[in-house]
Amino acid sequence: MESLVDLGQEVSSAKELAEKMKAALYVMTGIFSVPTAALFIYHPQRKSLELVTEKGHRDKAKKEMKLSVPSAGIKRFRMNEPHPILDMSKTTFYRQNHAVFMRLQTRIFIPLFAKGEFVGAIALGKKLGGAPYHPEEKDVLRVIAHQMAITLHNTRLFLELAKKASENKRLYTSMQRIYHDTIQAFAAAIDAKDDYTKDHSYRVASYAVAIARELGWKKNDVEGLYVAGLLHDIGKIIIDHDIINKGEKLTTPEIYEIKRHPQISYDILSKVKFPWKNIDHFVRHHHERIDGKGYPDALMSTELSDGVKILSLADAFDAMTTDRPYRGKMTLSTAVQEVMKCSGTQFDAKMTNTFFNILRRELNGEVKEKQILPHLRNVDITDFNTLDPATVYGGASMDSLPGKTEYVLTWQTETEKAPRTL
Amino acid sequence: MTPKGYINDMGAVRLEQTSDVFLGKGVKKIIVNFSDVQFINTIGISIFTGIVQKIQEHESLLCFTNMKKIHLDVFEMVGLIKYVKVFKDEEAALTFLKGRS
Repeated sequence: MESLVDLGQEVSSAKELAEKMKAALYVMTGIFSVPTAALFIYHPQRKSLELVTEKGHRDKAKKEMKLSVPSAGIKRFRMNEPHPILDMSKTTFYRQNHAVFMRLQTRIFIPLFAKGEFVGAIALGKKLGGAPYHPEEKDVLRVIAHQMAITLHNTRLFLELAKKASENKRLYTSMQRIYHDTIQAFAAAIDAKDDYTKDHSYRVASYAVAIARELGWKKNDVEGLYVAGLLHDIGKIIIDHDIINKGEKLTTPEIYEIKRHPQISYDILSKVKFPWKNIDHFVRHHHERIDGKGYPDALMSTELSDGVKILSLADAFDAMTTDRPYRGKMTLSTAVQEVMKCSGTQFDAKMTNTFFNILRRELNGEVKEKQILPHLRNVDITDFNTLDPATVYGGASMDSLPGKTEYVLTWQTETEKAPRTL
Repeated sequence: MTPKGYINDMGAVRLEQTSDVFLGKGVKKIIVNFSDVQFINTIGISIFTGIVQKIQEHESLLCFTNMKKIHLDVFEMVGLIKYVKVFKDEEAALTFLKGRS
């Protein structure tokens, strides 16, 4: 009887359902000494009863255990009522499935109903010795059948829900990929506006992610910062192409024009309902400085979020290490010295130290997955190990940083097989 | 066959599988020694029902030995006992079977 009680427990897979139902079927056949029995689940779309589990049939017969069910057939059944197969002999249902009933050696057919819904059926063979099923035995069968019907019904609901949940998850992942691809496409469009900044947005996003991860940000927040990095210059789309790509010194009106882009980025992105927080805030303030001399709002350090501080550093570092219309790219050591010079005024020291700590570990080959170096392939990094570490880490903070201070630069380009040592 | 412990779950189906193997090999006499069986429930009865059915199909003989009273009562109650020969122990069963061959 434990097996019948067990039917009331949650069933979370088709396999588990088959196991529990098999045990219940064995209980049923044990009570009445029936050597053969089969349990079917009803498939409304296919209008058929398909085998869940069975007892006592030869393997060959199992494959053919499928009963077709005309709609009129279901209406004739009474709820969980054991029907002697002889009484069914004139029904269309019996005639359509005569061969299967013969193979099953069916004597009693019990349609299973739960909450008024036809969910399956049990086919019981003849009792050992061939004695008939007595009315009181049919009462017991009805009770067990009712329990099995409820389990079938609940399991079917559960499996349908699980299938829908799995489908929703797949759709969500697919939508997420489309979402990311769209954002990447926007980023590419933004960068295409500027002849010199191909992949700038992508690199800024990657640097920002590296810092945020190092600071222990949550996955979702890191993702949001990545998107902000990709879209931070979206406002440049409506800035005159000639101003963006001007090689000479900008005039005051041109500087004013180009400084509008964070505000425009904000205006565009604040209308988008992102699944991440603060995207518009990050892009609006990516040209702010911690000394309050940035734009558009000249906010002080205390008014700036970590996300803004990270993005500002990532943006400036990439600007330094790529060619610009007005100057060539800096070497890595020059860029690092430049950033350190501005640490505490333009950039937050926590962010600069974190960034260079990641860079140092990557240069020393201490990490498998490099996040910064792959983007610096076209940058001269050979002079980096000539830098005084105290310069890089601002003296005092150097002691708290783990690892070596001698820089052996090793990384692989996509086309190189052996690591390159510089 | 000498089942042990509890014959009360689907794990005991291997008893039926073992008897299938014997019958498939042409064995005509099977002895089940119950001395180490502690408990049989309806699932166990169902399994023995299947064994008895196949024994009949193969025109073979099934003997039970060393049964406790509770086991005997259970098999009597469900009507299975009339399809098997019950003996006090294996020796008695073997003596009987030798006499029949």
